[in-house]
Amino acid sequence: MSSPEPQQQQQKSQKQVDAEFTSYYLQRATQEFGEALDAVRSADDFKPESSIAVLISALQQGTEMFSEEDKRAVVCSEGAEKSSK
Amino acid sequence: MGKRFSYGGDAAGAPRKRAKVVHEAPTSEEVHASRQLRQLLIFDQDPARSRHGLQSFKLFLDELLSADGGIKSERARILRDYLDAEKPAEDDESPVYLPDIMQTWSHAGQTNNDNIMSAVPVVLVLLLRLLSQSLDTVPYGLGICRTLLQKRQQELISRNLAADKGKSFIISPTLRLLREAVSFDGGAIARPLFRARATMLKSLARNMGIVHMGEDKEDTKRPSARTNAIQFFLSAIKYLHPEAKKELLSQRDIVSALTRDVKQDPPYLLKELLTGLKTHIIMDDKVPREAKSNLLNTSTLVRLSALYQYRLDSPAEDEPSIADLAHELLLTVCTNPACGVLRQDSGFYPRELDPNTTIPTAELDDLGLEAVVWMNKFKNDVPVRNFTLSNFLPNLRPWSSVKQSELITSIFRVAPELVANYFLSNKSFTFEPKLSATWIGYAAFLFNTVILPIPENLCRGPSVPELPPPTSIVLDNILPLPLNQKALVRCLEHKSNMIKFFATRIMVVAIEKLDAVIRIYQGTSRSNQTIWNEAARRLVDEFCQRSPGIRNMINACQKIPTQDLLHREAASRLLRLCYEVLPQATLSAKLDVSIHLDAALGRISNQELDDPRDFALGLKELESLLAIAGYSPGMRWFGASKGTTLSPFTQLLKVCAEAPKGVSLKTIQQVLNFVAAEQQLVPGHAGHPRLLPLVEALQTLHQSSPKYASQVWPFLDTCFTHCASKSVKYVEMLQEIAQETAESTGQNIDEALVSPIILAIRDQLPHASKNGGEEVLKGLGRLLPTLLGLSVTVGESRAILSSIFSKMVSDLPDPKGKLVKAGVPEGLQFQHNSWSPTKTKASRPEKNAANSHDAVTSETAIDRETLEGMLHIPDSLEAENSALMKWANKTADELVDEGYATSLIALLASEHASIRKEALVSILKVADKIKPSEYEEKEQVWLLLSELAETAKGNIDDGPLPSTIVAFASHALHIVRDPLHGLYPKVNIFLTRGPYWSLDKLPLVDEILTEEPNVGDAFYTQISWLLTYLIDGLRTAQDLELYHKKRAKGPILERILALAVNPYMRLPLRTQVLRLLYRASGIEGGSTTLTTRFSVMNWLEERRSACADPSEAAVYESLRKRIWETCDQQRVVEWSKEGLP
Repeated sequence: MSSPEPQQQQQKSQKQVDAEFTSYYLQRATQEFGEALDAVRSADDFKPESSIAVLISALQQGTEMFSEEDKRAVVCSEGAEKSSK
Repeated sequence: MGKRFSYGGDAAGAPRKRAKVVHEAPTSEEVHASRQLRQLLIFDQDPARSRHGLQSFKLFLDELLSADGGIKSERARILRDYLDAEKPAEDDESPVYLPDIMQTWSHAGQTNNDNIMSAVPVVLVLLLRLLSQSLDTVPYGLGICRTLLQKRQQELISRNLAADKGKSFIISPTLRLLREAVSFDGGAIARPLFRARATMLKSLARNMGIVHMGEDKEDTKRPSARTNAIQFFLSAIKYLHPEAKKELLSQRDIVSALTRDVKQDPPYLLKELLTGLKTHIIMDDKVPREAKSNLLNTSTLVRLSALYQYRLDSPAEDEPSIADLAHELLLTVCTNPACGVLRQDSGFYPRELDPNTTIPTAELDDLGLEAVVWMNKFKNDVPVRNFTLSNFLPNLRPWSSVKQSELITSIFRVAPELVANYFLSNKSFTFEPKLSATWIGYAAFLFNTVILPIPENLCRGPSVPELPPPTSIVLDNILPLPLNQKALVRCLEHKSNMIKFFATRIMVVAIEKLDAVIRIYQGTSRSNQTIWNEAARRLVDEFCQRSPGIRNMINACQKIPTQDLLHREAASRLLRLCYEVLPQATLSAKLDVSIHLDAALGRISNQELDDPRDFALGLKELESLLAIAGYSPGMRWFGASKGTTLSPFTQLLKVCAEAPKGVSLKTIQQVLNFVAAEQQLVPGHAGHPRLLPLVEALQTLHQSSPKYASQVWPFLDTCFTHCASKSVKYVEMLQEIAQETAESTGQNIDEALVSPIILAIRDQLPHASKNGGEEVLKGLGRLLPTLLGLSVTVGESRAILSSIFSKMVSDLPDPKGKLVKAGVPEGLQFQHNSWSPTKTKASRPEKNAANSHDAVTSETAIDRETLEGMLHIPDSLEAENSALMKWANKTADELVDEGYATSLIALLASEHASIRKEALVSILKVADKIKPSEYEEKEQVWLLLSELAETAKGNIDDGPLPSTIVAFASHALHIVRDPLHGLYPKVNIFLTRGPYWSLDKLPLVDEILTEEPNVGDAFYTQISWLLTYLIDGLRTAQDLELYHKKRAKGPILERILALAVNPYMRLPLRTQVLRLLYRASGIEGGSTTLTTRFSVMNWLEERRSACADPSEAAVYESLRKRIWETCDQQRVVEWSKEGLP
């Protein structure tokens, strides 16, 4: 028993879903670990020309842990409805 | 000794200084006529005039080359006329073109005139360049090229090339001349030129080493000798035939010089070099593999990899940098077997090892995995086929560069043998956590290594080999060496959440990979499956030793901030994987999943998450927690915990009803349905859609009147709790209502079906206003008609539901009598969920259920081997006599923690009296050794061993000690060394009760089965321990007697069978009971005893018919079959009066 999928969900190509999920994942990761990332930026071994790429790649590799179905479920959910507590 | 003083420049003793080379600029004049040109270039012994002529010619050629039209321009007629006049006779056998210039060159060689030796190649280069512009003039150019191949000119070229290193002004133009010659007219003379390689390639390697000096960049207009040499080499490989390329690449000095100085080369040259090598050698199929291997040796690869740090270029945005080009080339070279570097390997099996060796069955049976001699051989060194890559990889820095990390993992992907080898040879780089770019880079690299796919069939061959791969190698591929327990624990305990997060993610993918490997091990049934099973167990054991314990993971999970959704998702997924893949490891610590579940449910159901994507992510966390709850026997679904108003079940239902559109709720609904059916809130028959009508009705209410929807939850929560705790009451109530309805309507509703939850709602409705007053009743007034209408749609009895509804209405606010009038709505359709009425008809549940059951059973019938795989547990007390020798040099810690003491205990059940006696002596010695040691739990261990010895004394002379005693002692030893274990108090109370144990009794069985557990909901954990010990303790017919012997509270087996009927017991524990029966069925007379004394055939049949899961039902069926096959059938038929089978 599953909810009928909205059309928009069907329309998005896997590539789009991947890109949107990656962007969401990075946004969340930078939000959750902002402080730690600042600390890394001021570490002795931080080199702007190469370390930024390393950090981004390291953070976003976590998207590999999600199946295509999971990614779609996250990026294709419609506006959360607010209800009174 | 005093200093020497110089007394003058011309003193005989003055140090010799190199004479300063002074380049005087030559004179020149403008060329106006061919006759003038001829005069200028005619051989003259006066070097100044020769230079004057050559310089004038050079300027004239420069002018033509830069002018429009080039060789075809009007002014070029002067040149063409000159060349015509200078053309050698056609019948000349070895015609010399430009004889005057050649003679001037030759004379300069004789007189060591460097300026002219340089000037001649300069003009020849320009001339050839000009002649190549037109088809008419190409034959003339070819004539000049052939002239260069004549002996005299070859010698001059050779001499120029071998000039002093400092004379680049001679070497460079000569190399340019050769480059023009080799590529002239599409490489027409490349072949003869290569034949003359002794002179033409003279000093090439040395010249490749004459690099640009100085701090400025190399001027593109004045390239260094190295640049010219490389460009000549690249032109040569472009036009040479494959055999010649092979010959060229076999010259080690040239190959080595080619890349020695790449770090300082100008960007344009590197671009040419990388593209040239790729196009004309690496990707050229005609060049033999070995020639490519000669070029692409370790040092070439290392030097190319230095280009990752190349910073002399400044590429445009859409242009690849040198580092990009080098990366692309290295990726191709290292991962394409056609490039001569990559060799085919055998995945997890190292070089020189035959995984299909036949080992005699007897040997395998006796020694198990130890019969495979190489199983433990590769812990410190892994021989590989890809030695070039193995030597190359340590030179890369994956932690500081994404591309280098990508290169290594791409290589690992195509040559999995290198993974273990790489980490063994790079032990110095640790994973010790530190909030630095390097650590994060390294963590990312390790993550990428862990997620690499498992080699196909483990060996990259067509089928899985006979023998499993060495455990250490497989483990190094799942958890590479730097990811050891110490480092991972420190990561999980680190104060930075990001470090914890990275470690958690790595552990998640590692356990997923472990699971995938184990599935291959357990794969299709093989003749030597026991070896594979043993290997799988060993792999799991070693994995557990390298990974952090469940306690560390739980602690890490508890400290994650609430709002860190990604982190929480990963941590809950890690715990879930532990429960699924490493269930044994999770016994060592208790996770109160309800706390986490409450928190997660609270966040989601209170809509704390604004972003719908956050909501969906929160659901992922919830799914993992629900799965864990499923594995936790003590999970309390009904009844709210501290600080919450709703039970987990109701909260979960609320999440489903209020979830935003498009969010996948499949897993959550599955869990809800499972719990609802198990607790008899809804019918458990195959065709019934469980909670679907309720979910649909709640969703409809939530959308149409959210204000009322939020009011009904506390009331529904009360109904669920009542329904779950008093299911019998509602079954009886249904029967009563059915009877009443039948009487009043005259319909036959024997097979009527109504969800008990509706009866509970009916029952609680009079008290509804207590839970929030009128608002609740208004909400229910909207919800209940929909719910009942949908229940009718899915096939529940309309007559009974109408009867119930008519009673409900009296408690609902219905001033205008609308509800009474409308009754239960007809033909309601599902709007939010998909439900197909044709799919299943639930109106005849009994029959349908039975039919579907049969269908399912026949589909999933289990064969003998699969049943064995599921229920057979290897004999853990099997004697390993070597244990008598092994313990002697071990410390107290090792004796207890590494299983030496347990092995000795097992020997008390040996068939041989001498072994038993020796084991007893050893146990006493071990106890004596532990008592004075520093071991933390020495007292308890000593007491246990001493009591065991006391029990064994005098009882092992005639036969082995009962397996029950031995199994108890082994398992109790694990408990006394861990004071946090739930059974620690019980075991200690047992030990202090007396100095020896009764052989007739099974220790602790009563205490566990009947007494309250010491710690919270540890009952099922204790049952799990008890069942494991009972299975291990059942090995012989004598043991079986102890299990069916009459006792005050009934025979042990009877009590265990009764235990399994407990509806709260989860599948893993139920399966343990089946394993105990399976073990008994393997003992002589066991199946007959089970059948005649415990009616186990009927018990299995009952369990089967009560079981909702078809795969579990199939196991009961299959076990029943086995018991029938192994019992004394004649006796059983007589005993059952032909009622069986």
